Amino acid sequence: MSGPNEDKNTQLSSHFFGDLLDSIIVDVASECHRIAKLGLDRNLEEEEEEMRLSVQARARVADPSNSSETNTKYVVDIFGQTHPSIATEIFECMNCGRSIAAGRFAPHLEKCMGKGRKARLKVTRSSTAAQNRYSRGSPVSAYSPYSNSTSTNRLSNGTPSVAGEEYSNGTYEEPWNKT
Amino acid sequence: MKHSVNRPPTPDAAEDQGKEPTLQEIINIKLIESGEKERLMELLRERLIDCGWKDEMKALCRAHVKKKGRTNVTVDDLVHLITPKGRASVPDSVKAELLQRIRTFLMSAAL
Repeated sequence: MSGPNEDKNTQLSSHFFGDLLDSIIVDVASECHRIAKLGLDRNLEEEEEEMRLSVQARARVADPSNSSETNTKYVVDIFGQTHPSIATEIFECMNCGRSIAAGRFAPHLEKCMGKGRKARLKVTRSSTAAQNRYSRGSPVSAYSPYSNSTSTNRLSNGTPSVAGEEYSNGTYEEPWNKT
Repeated sequence: MKHSVNRPPTPDAAEDQGKEPTLQEIINIKLIESGEKERLMELLRERLIDCGWKDEMKALCRAHVKKKGRTNVTVDDLVHLITPKGRASVPDSVKAELLQRIRTFLMSAAL
């Protein structure tokens, strides 16, 4: 094989290889350009921006200092409306007939329909049933934590829960306690 | 009729190339006409994808787009960005394989 031809061959080969490579480079650049312009690339920057905003929003929601009185009243929802922290529409209680604010309805019903002992007293069919309940061993005052949370009902396994008691003995139901 | 119609053809351009195509051009035409250029290009493309070269280039482009902003980037920008790095980062085995095939073609077609 002659030297100069070899060199020429090598040179030509390199030239054509470079040619092919350049074409492929242009193709790749064009493809990336297209993806960038059409925003097909998962919108890197925009996604990061959205991530940042959503993290901020989540932090704002989870932040306990935000649920202070002044803040909750002036938080704006996505439609630009503000809501008072306690719902203000007024309903009539079906049990006692009083006008109650919606946001105060559940606590009212708890007291009104029997979670409170005073209420139960007045609705009980027979006084003996009431006596049975109280003679179960736990003093009535044990039930006063009701006003804090209904779960104390269920947790106090030794004493029969008021709801269960009523369900079996009494004839009126307390759907809210049953949840 | 304008006088410019009869003026002699511009000497320099014609003089450099001569009226005959260069060896390079001849081989190029042969490559294209035989379909070998297409095959070589597909082979090179496939090899470059397999070895991750294309992904590297795309990552470079993406980074550049992120920096400059989507709307400001041109194809030219990206080509100029990728070309030096692209040429330098082709794996040796890929380059050798392609060069071998081209050389084979040259030897069979040159004479």
